Amino acid sequence: MSNIALRLAWRNLWRYPRRTWLTVGAMIFSNSLLVFSISLQFGSYEMMINNTLQAFTGHIQVQREGYLDDPKMRYVLPDITAMADRLRSSLDSNQIAARAAGFALVSSNDRSYGLQILGVEPEFEPFVSTIPGLIKQGRYLDKDSDEEIVIGSVLARNLKVKLGDEVTFLGSGRDDSFAAGVARVVGIFETGSADLDRSMAQVSLAYFQDAFTMGGSGHSITLRAATIDEVPMLKQRVKTLIAGRDKLVVLDWEVLQPGLKQAIQADMTSAWFMYGVLIILVAFSVLNTQLMSVLERTREFGTMMALGLKPSNLARLVMTETFMMASLGLAIGVFIGYLITAYLSVVGFSYPGMEEMADKFNLPDRMYPNVSLLSLTLGPGIVAIGCLLAAIYPALRLYLLLPIEAMRAV
Amino acid sequence: MSAIHCMQLCKTFKQGDETITGLDHVDISIEVGEFVCLSGPSGSGKTTLLNAIGGLDTHDSVEIHMGNIRIDQLDKGSLADMRLHNIGFVFQAYNLIPVLSAQENVEFVMQMQGIVAHERARHAREILKEVGLEGMEDRRPAQLSGGQQQRVAVARAIVSQPQLVLADEPTANLDSVTASHLMNLFSRLNQHHHITFIIATHDKRVMGYAKRLIKMRDGKIIGDEKQTPVAIEDVADSSG
Amino acid sequence: MNTGVFNIPFKAMLTLSWRNLWRNYRRTLIMLAAISMAVWAMIFMTAIMRGMVDDMLHQGVANLPGHIQIHHPGFRDDPSVVNSIDAPGGELLAALNDSQTKSWTSRIKVPAVISSERDTRGISLLGVEPESENRITGIAEQVVEGRFLEGDDDRGVVIGLKLAERLETRLGKRVVIMSQDPDNNIADRGFRIVGLYKARLEALEEVNVYAARGTLQKLLKIGDQVSEIAIIDKDFRDIESLYAKIKAATPDNLEIRAWYELDSYLSSMLNVMDGFVLIWIIIIFLALSFGLVNTLMMAVFERRREIGLIQALGMRPGMIVYQILLESLLLLLIGLSIGNALALATVLPLESGLDISSVAEGLAMIGAGSVLYPNLRLDDMILANVVVIMLGTLTSILPAWHAARLDPVQAINST
Repeated sequence: MSNIALRLAWRNLWRYPRRTWLTVGAMIFSNSLLVFSISLQFGSYEMMINNTLQAFTGHIQVQREGYLDDPKMRYVLPDITAMADRLRSSLDSNQIAARAAGFALVSSNDRSYGLQILGVEPEFEPFVSTIPGLIKQGRYLDKDSDEEIVIGSVLARNLKVKLGDEVTFLGSGRDDSFAAGVARVVGIFETGSADLDRSMAQVSLAYFQDAFTMGGSGHSITLRAATIDEVPMLKQRVKTLIAGRDKLVVLDWEVLQPGLKQAIQADMTSAWFMYGVLIILVAFSVLNTQLMSVLERTREFGTMMALGLKPSNLARLVMTETFMMASLGLAIGVFIGYLITAYLSVVGFSYPGMEEMADKFNLPDRMYPNVSLLSLTLGPGIVAIGCLLAAIYPALRLYLLLPIEAMRAV
Repeated sequence: MSAIHCMQLCKTFKQGDETITGLDHVDISIEVGEFVCLSGPSGSGKTTLLNAIGGLDTHDSVEIHMGNIRIDQLDKGSLADMRLHNIGFVFQAYNLIPVLSAQENVEFVMQMQGIVAHERARHAREILKEVGLEGMEDRRPAQLSGGQQQRVAVARAIVSQPQLVLADEPTANLDSVTASHLMNLFSRLNQHHHITFIIATHDKRVMGYAKRLIKMRDGKIIGDEKQTPVAIEDVADSSG
Repeated sequence: MNTGVFNIPFKAMLTLSWRNLWRNYRRTLIMLAAISMAVWAMIFMTAIMRGMVDDMLHQGVANLPGHIQIHHPGFRDDPSVVNSIDAPGGELLAALNDSQTKSWTSRIKVPAVISSERDTRGISLLGVEPESENRITGIAEQVVEGRFLEGDDDRGVVIGLKLAERLETRLGKRVVIMSQDPDNNIADRGFRIVGLYKARLEALEEVNVYAARGTLQKLLKIGDQVSEIAIIDKDFRDIESLYAKIKAATPDNLEIRAWYELDSYLSSMLNVMDGFVLIWIIIIFLALSFGLVNTLMMAVFERRREIGLIQALGMRPGMIVYQILLESLLLLLIGLSIGNALALATVLPLESGLDISSVAEGLAMIGAGSVLYPNLRLDDMILANVVVIMLGTLTSILPAWHAARLDPVQAINST
């Protein structure tokens, strides 16, 4: 398109500055809103994922096939420590830890509760889970921990035990034999999630294997990736590494925590419904403006056609005008959206009732939107496309124009 | 008592970088019942003077009296009321509200004055008949010829029996037969209803109907003389 | 000389506004489409969100269960058999049996361990009086295999389908349930599984195991003591009067709590939802308002000669404002009617439930079931309509005022 055509389109826009600004204003409003809320969405999803996975689940777990759906004691990974060591050296990463889990009735002098006991590798567990770092009293397990146990703060309160007290646990071992032990409470953790604090106890893997007649086996190897984006790659590498082993599966967080993924999906669906409404409203605004601008220029277009312009030239003119408006709306909208979001991503924000909701989703009490290139451009990009689509009808109307009639039009 | 009295009326416009003098210290008095033509070439200040008298335009005047009211001191709302009750307007074009029929256009002013519906309808039909538009009450402006539209405009201007009718080039878009019908109508209304007419025009035939002819040039009055109007041809009565 | 705005017959203005509206029918239709769709989106989305939150509330309240609960003061922090209370008597019993209470029951709720031949699980063991429990939770209707408990001394247990699967056991098989009595002695006995139930939230099926209250009282050696008294009112949103009455009758050594105190997440959801609805409606309105102002501005611009003319005819500026506002109001009213009709037409067929089980576990995470029942509330509809009318009219003041300020001479002479 020649330079003069661009100039013509640009000047046409400013024949009625108020109308152009109102149309662009709708875009700016929607774009800044979209930038803000998409950034917020991405930010909170990331936090939800990280906080949920970092607490305990990790990004990837290697398990025996079937263990996820039905965690039976006998679905084991044999020689689990050796396997974890091999993974650690092959992947050159510390964020890999072996675990075993069993159900037991844990009793103090006063109380008994049935709960999950976890056998962990004390030297590696801190790299895959935040729980070891959340010890509020005493210390975490160490390499030589034997007959030592750490429990959650709510459980400690319910069992009425304090540091140094002994608890007994009763359960069944891998071979359905009677499993029992007496362990001293060396640490009490507090994650803030009442569920975890009520229902978890950890002992060292070696001690667990001993008490529950596991031999050298365990139930899962938990891995953490540097970032969530690296999970698929890491999963692939682990798969290759364990390829020869029978009946083992590599599961990522989406499978381990299907609720998390689906909660995000459900939220995405409703969010995109709302964004869709906004985008369509902006498109209507553009449709109206451009249709009116085409209709009121009928005479002018007639003259131009009489001068030898083809309808396609005129249609391109209208599309160029729309494109200019959309670009203006995009630029200003993204800029304003960026300013708001960047500001809030530093100071954070909260709203009434958020504390309770944040608790439920493992989120902090203040939200920090996450500004990224994608969150900045995704919404506004779709708005711009929507606007261009909306201008197609007015542009097509130009093909119906007959020069003489058009020139007579008022 | 004089109907209109303007003193030292001035008006300037900006056009590009130039300042144009529209009215240059005009003094004018018009009595009740006069039939005045303002004549002069375009740009001489006729329309500006007409708009100033009608309170349509802002001006740098010292004083404009209408009856004993200082209209230069009224606010926009009171000016609107004054126009509604005391002044009828007839413009060169775009005289009618396009979405309303002939009768509704005429009734519109009465509606604004708060006249009851049946009274309004009866009166509107009467006036339309008087201007020769019987049977066309329900047509929209787009379905009427130029002359018919102007007659609807006249009907609307006089329907509330104003003291003053201001007409700006009312015949500019009309052929000569239609134009003389319109002027006959004006003359009759002037004689029978004692309505004061001020008509801005450069149409020689129109000037013939005036009892007083005011000539303007460059925003100044350069001539003001009484004259005997031509005889009214009673052709309007027969026109349909 | 004083013609006030309302002296002019409303009908005349209405005619003028109505006809003006349809002069540029394309523009009006586009704007109507935008308004209708905005109103539809406001109401539809609100109904869906309300439905979801309602479901969460119902589920949440059903999971507690009971709109009002009475416990030992230590029970909520330490749900042990030690923190049991005496069966209601005297004044409290009288208040509970009062006609204002829809239903009430007392139950035992203790942590326990259940073992089958294959596996062992931690559970929440509920000792219930079958008939009154069912009135509150409807548990008997959730039994899909076998039967629910019968009578206060039924010797069977009813467990969830999911738990049966985990334990690799089935209807008719025996399980051993182990808990402790107040003296911290292990109390255990075998039970036959007499029924399997299916809950709306799968997580519950794994945890809640039902046994008869009398049987458990004997097992746990607690006489006629219970863990909690649960009361339901006709509508859980409106329990204040009942709450106050029962509170007055409750002995001081017991703790009484309403559902919103028992689960602060639920009550905060309810409040957040009200705020969300308002924000959603206003955001959509704002997105719409640009188009509305633009449309009216265009209408004024196109008609500036005419507006000049009616000003010359003596229409006061206030009347011009009035006429443009009326035109905008007509546009809004038509848009609202279509939008409301669309919302009704889309929401009502969905009221029998919208299956969204593809994200069931995600919804379970927020506490909602996998079938969504939109809840179209009259007050939300009114809110949406009022916001559109009020703010819409307010927004239209700008173009209307602009029209009133047109200089008649320039307006008439403009091309």
